[in-house]
Amino acid sequence: MKILTAILCGLMLTGCTVSKVEPWDRQYLARPEMAWDADAASAAYQSHVYFSKEASNGGASAGAGGCGCN
Amino acid sequence: MDNNKKAQSSALLALTGAALALPGIAGKAHAAAPVSEPVLSYHATRYSEARLDSDKHLGGDSERYEIDTHQLGFASAIGKQTDIQLDLMVESMSGASPWYVQPGANNEPVQAMSGASIKEERVDLQSRFNRFVNTETVASLVLGYSDEDDYSAANIGFEFEKTLPQNQLTVTAGMGYSDDELEPTQGTTAVSVTSAEKDSLSAFVGLGFILNARTAVQTSLSITDQEGFLSDPYKLAYIASLANPLVSDNRPNDRRQWVWLTKFRHYVPSVNAAVHADYRYFDDDWDIESHTLELGWYQNLGNTLRVDSVLRYYSQTAAYFYAPFYLSPRSDGLASSDYRLSPYGALSLRLRVVKSLGPWQLSAQWEGYEAKASHSLKKVDVESPGLVEFNTFSIGFDRVF
Repeated sequence: MKILTAILCGLMLTGCTVSKVEPWDRQYLARPEMAWDADAASAAYQSHVYFSKEASNGGASAGAGGCGCN
Repeated sequence: MDNNKKAQSSALLALTGAALALPGIAGKAHAAAPVSEPVLSYHATRYSEARLDSDKHLGGDSERYEIDTHQLGFASAIGKQTDIQLDLMVESMSGASPWYVQPGANNEPVQAMSGASIKEERVDLQSRFNRFVNTETVASLVLGYSDEDDYSAANIGFEFEKTLPQNQLTVTAGMGYSDDELEPTQGTTAVSVTSAEKDSLSAFVGLGFILNARTAVQTSLSITDQEGFLSDPYKLAYIASLANPLVSDNRPNDRRQWVWLTKFRHYVPSVNAAVHADYRYFDDDWDIESHTLELGWYQNLGNTLRVDSVLRYYSQTAAYFYAPFYLSPRSDGLASSDYRLSPYGALSLRLRVVKSLGPWQLSAQWEGYEAKASHSLKKVDVESPGLVEFNTFSIGFDRVF
């Protein structure tokens, strides 16, 4: 229930402020430092380290590599 | 003439794709077109854990893990509608690992480390095939395999991404499955099983929005079910009332995890920088709840140099069966003193420098990480003595062909 409430709040926050952006006005959005993971290799490594050292992990991904993680 | 038309058409397609680009769930906010040029990347990273403080340490080797990691990546188009990404990770690990916790002076918990230094290697290969059905639709297949001395895992996943340009919205969904097999090394440390299996099934849905010409938000919800052997075969727990107080780490055989992840990106043209803010909420049926907040500032310095600074905060509650040590056995037989299941918080700082030189992109990164009970959002009565502090340093390059 807490998760659902948080998601609804998040969607309301984002949905209320959308303004029209033409395709030719998206040069800032297309910059590499605006990517969700600005450095994919680094992001993959960090995700693996945190997965090994913390109890929580996961996110929006269908990929998963296992490890013993001592 | 035909060649000119083809070139113009190709350029137009690439431009259109870039213009239509909406941030998807995948790591890179890719346009609905295959990668335009092959990219080869390599990164080398040294990970070093700090020694345990002497007052938290019972015996054995206090030198903790050092890990050298090599990552090799390659991405290229295959035809006009498909691209492939291959990522190879090779790790060499050595050092001692937390073994069990027992009461010390004044009943303060002290950590015993594995007696012998562990040396092992891990190889992980992940591949991703993206099929660009049209400029608004991408279907992806993810395949991977990971292997180390005592552990192997094969994973498969599917993702689907649909862009709705008129609504500046990207809808993404996917699911993945991992089949893990464990054969603990029979060494100087006694192990609880000779072989075991674990299955993980996950699914997610996500939405990406363009809020304005400088701001985008992505939010997603994912669920993961794990089933099988979820204990650590190398770890022990201490139960004071037993004649032989050291027992095998024993956790439930299933676990359900929920994750809500939201990412915010905003570009500030006046200073030529991007602001990142990521929040993740995690909840599972082991009573572990965590909050993760990452704040990043990505500063361009001229056209070829960028400096990234990221501050990360993490806080988790304990698993319901965790204790640093036990006075008597639990009625359900569960027991684990793994510091990763304890209550704590962690702070980390990451700094990265990225330099572009023609088709080359060179990078160097440092991260410092410290876990402590005092960093936790909630009050912690007893800190686990095994909490980790580490540094990583990496260098690498990307080469576009």
